[in-house]
Amino acid sequence: MSTVDLGAERYTGHGEPIVLELDNRRGSFGMALFITSEAMLFVILFGVYYYLGPGNQRWMLEEPPKLHYSIPMLAILWSSSGIFYWGEERLKKQDYRTARLALIATIVFGLGFLAVSYFEYSEELLHLTPRTDAYGSIFFAITSLHLLHLIIGLTMLTWLLFLAKRWEPARSIPHQPYHNVGMYWHFVDIMWGFIVAILYVYPNIVHVYPSVGH
Amino acid sequence: MMWQVQNLLANWTAPQLSTAKRRVDFCTHAEACANPYSIGSKSVAKQLRGERTFMSTAVEHLTELWETPKTLRGILGTVDHKELGHRYIVTALIFLLVGGLEALLIRLQLTHANNAILSPEQYDQVFTIHGMTMIYWYAGPILSGFAIYLIPLMIGARDLAFPRLNAFTYWTFLFSGILLYVGPFLGQAPHAGWFAYVPYTNIRYSPSHGMDFYNFSLILLNLSTVGASINFIVTVLRHRAPGMTISRMPLFVWSTTTISFVALFAMPALTAANFMLELDRRWSLRFFDVSLGGKTLLWQQVFWFFGHPWVYIIFLPATGMISMIIPVFSRRPIVGYPYVAASTVLTGLTGFGVWVHHMFTTGVSMLGMSFFSAASMTISLFTAIQVFAWLATIWKGRPVRTTSMYFAIGFIALIIIGGLDGIATGFVPLDWQLNDTYWVIGHIHYVLVGANVFPVFAALYYWLPKMTGRMMNETLGKTSFWVMIVGFNVAFLTMHVVGVEGMPRRLYTYPSELGWSELNLVITIGSFILAFGILLTIVNFFWSLRAGAVAGKNPWNADSLEWSTESPPPPYGSVHIPTVATRHPLWDEHEEEADPNNERVLDQGRFTLSTSWLDGVPFAIARMPDTSLTPLFTALGFSVICSAFVYQQMWIVLAGLIFTLGTLLWWMKPIPSGENA
Repeated sequence: MSTVDLGAERYTGHGEPIVLELDNRRGSFGMALFITSEAMLFVILFGVYYYLGPGNQRWMLEEPPKLHYSIPMLAILWSSSGIFYWGEERLKKQDYRTARLALIATIVFGLGFLAVSYFEYSEELLHLTPRTDAYGSIFFAITSLHLLHLIIGLTMLTWLLFLAKRWEPARSIPHQPYHNVGMYWHFVDIMWGFIVAILYVYPNIVHVYPSVGH
Repeated sequence: MMWQVQNLLANWTAPQLSTAKRRVDFCTHAEACANPYSIGSKSVAKQLRGERTFMSTAVEHLTELWETPKTLRGILGTVDHKELGHRYIVTALIFLLVGGLEALLIRLQLTHANNAILSPEQYDQVFTIHGMTMIYWYAGPILSGFAIYLIPLMIGARDLAFPRLNAFTYWTFLFSGILLYVGPFLGQAPHAGWFAYVPYTNIRYSPSHGMDFYNFSLILLNLSTVGASINFIVTVLRHRAPGMTISRMPLFVWSTTTISFVALFAMPALTAANFMLELDRRWSLRFFDVSLGGKTLLWQQVFWFFGHPWVYIIFLPATGMISMIIPVFSRRPIVGYPYVAASTVLTGLTGFGVWVHHMFTTGVSMLGMSFFSAASMTISLFTAIQVFAWLATIWKGRPVRTTSMYFAIGFIALIIIGGLDGIATGFVPLDWQLNDTYWVIGHIHYVLVGANVFPVFAALYYWLPKMTGRMMNETLGKTSFWVMIVGFNVAFLTMHVVGVEGMPRRLYTYPSELGWSELNLVITIGSFILAFGILLTIVNFFWSLRAGAVAGKNPWNADSLEWSTESPPPPYGSVHIPTVATRHPLWDEHEEEADPNNERVLDQGRFTLSTSWLDGVPFAIARMPDTSLTPLFTALGFSVICSAFVYQQMWIVLAGLIFTLGTLLWWMKPIPSGENA
């Protein structure tokens, strides 16, 4: 843990050395607030989704979105979050090698998500495009916004990977890059859970049990 | 090791409440006011003499650490909150002047019936860009500017929590304003009012690039606003002076923190609305396309979900300023501090529940209208609490007649009028009558000019001596106040009348037989009187820079911490990080900078203290970054992206993205642990 010696005795000759830690959680605080604002962006779009929905004649004309890709995608993301968290725990015990492996695994999982969403999109696009109707617009707006966040998250993770080479000499980096990037990555992963619940699962439930929607 | 820290903390934070007495006499001797040590015990003075050698070394060292180099790199890469605060304030005031000139142009056009100074198209563009400039690029940023300059000084920190983010938000604010003003020079300014309702803003009715400039300049500005909000929240909740518990924060700090949270939740709505509109316009999506399941009212819902909280974002910090100015010039602490602080927070919260009152004429359900009407009534209660607290403070105090106080009292009068006519439009039946008439224009100007420009002028007269070190001329200032308030009321009270007589807003001209000509002439005259009043203050400002009396540390004998430093403050703020024992640090007997062992000089690097968010107990040292060009380049990168989006030049967008990524990586380059200093 990095500390700062306030060195009062330099001036007074009789003071005791005073030691405070370096503040390394400031960035996490900023990141938490940034995530709050980002999450609000999704909340607004969910609001738009519900505002456009009720009583709309052109709303999911044919079938609700399929679950066979989105649920495995959820599994991929949430397990990547778990791995990343485990890596952070190892990092606290200064097990840099394992933490690095966990980071690489997280990136691979993230890339896996990207690959699966390619298939998911190409299936969806067969019968629905963003230009088909308002439903298509908001559906693709929300999912592609999430994809954009995922790409930003992956960029940050990759940055972390290159930073990892500097961990040993620079482990006193005050802003805890690993933790902060992790916060963002967990946010992206949790958000996919909401998207799956609202955009994928619920319409399917209503499709099977129409009484739920009323 | 830990027990030493514990001891230290005990010494720093023990509130000396038993000895803390309010010292509220009006200071008559400039020297006595200027020297904060004159009120202390003799031992402090003796100690100070003994420490002279140390002090000069420490001051030298701190200056070396915190001073921005006077090179080109220093000018472009400064992260000093005082320099950036200056720039914010000056830039926002320039936007005020530009927006003011546009307002005068509008008034010239409306002076008499069938006037043709502006063509209808030009008129639409001028009133739109007037509204946008004033609401987005003046009213919000000017308050951010004051907060950036004052908050670190008020809470005894050496800078904001993220100094480079601070520089970044300034540059994005500036570039977004420039992007907005590119449009008019190409003859393609936004033309649909500051709230840009669809379907008029769809590509079909607005084919020019005007609305694209609207969308992307606002998206860029949102980036700046969210960044500044994050910065304020972390600064206030993490870097207050030891002993400054949350219940001892100055009220301006309370209000800025509140609106920062509001902005965090409200700005994404505007960003989302801008993106949806842009996707509809240029990429043929269907959010607002009724024939394919879209809803035009969607724009209004999302926009006003941002729009009404924004009203409080540009109003609450102004009330915070007033809550600090009025007690100082009433020579007593504010009446009902906890109630004022709580009602500030509650206004911010309730502000999220009133947006539909902008939409009473759009066919919202009866239940919805009742709810939002009731919420609009509720919010006025919180403002009323503040108003009565100010009135009681003046009533129970010994008011001093200064220009700043004049503007503050003028603000109270105007906010009462503006608040009450706002409640009038909050009543559903009355709103159906008044919606889209000049009544609404009168109302919005009472709450925006009355509750933003007047407090800002009060703040300018109050805090400019701290920033420039020179006093403004009181006689000229008071003249300016009287001219402004007369001109203001002549113009905007008359607007209410012409509104009740049925004149709709956004009308580029009108036939003479409607009988609006005389009233419009009166409004135009009033607006020119108001402009003249503002001009007087500008003259006063430049006069004070050259010939103003030297202000000294604390010309008003005020109570908050920013007045304990030099005017203008040195780059590091105060030599010793101050400690705080009461709500009025400079009015009690606790010596903020008393620090016999020099534990709080923090000159081993660019350091400031991190303290707990509730009780202000120090727990860590925060290292602050030095001058850096990365914020400027990152802001440039985002500006390139947004500008390229206006013309859908996707390759340039991609290039901009890669460039921005590069600058961000440079920005985030970790500092090796050895380089503390």
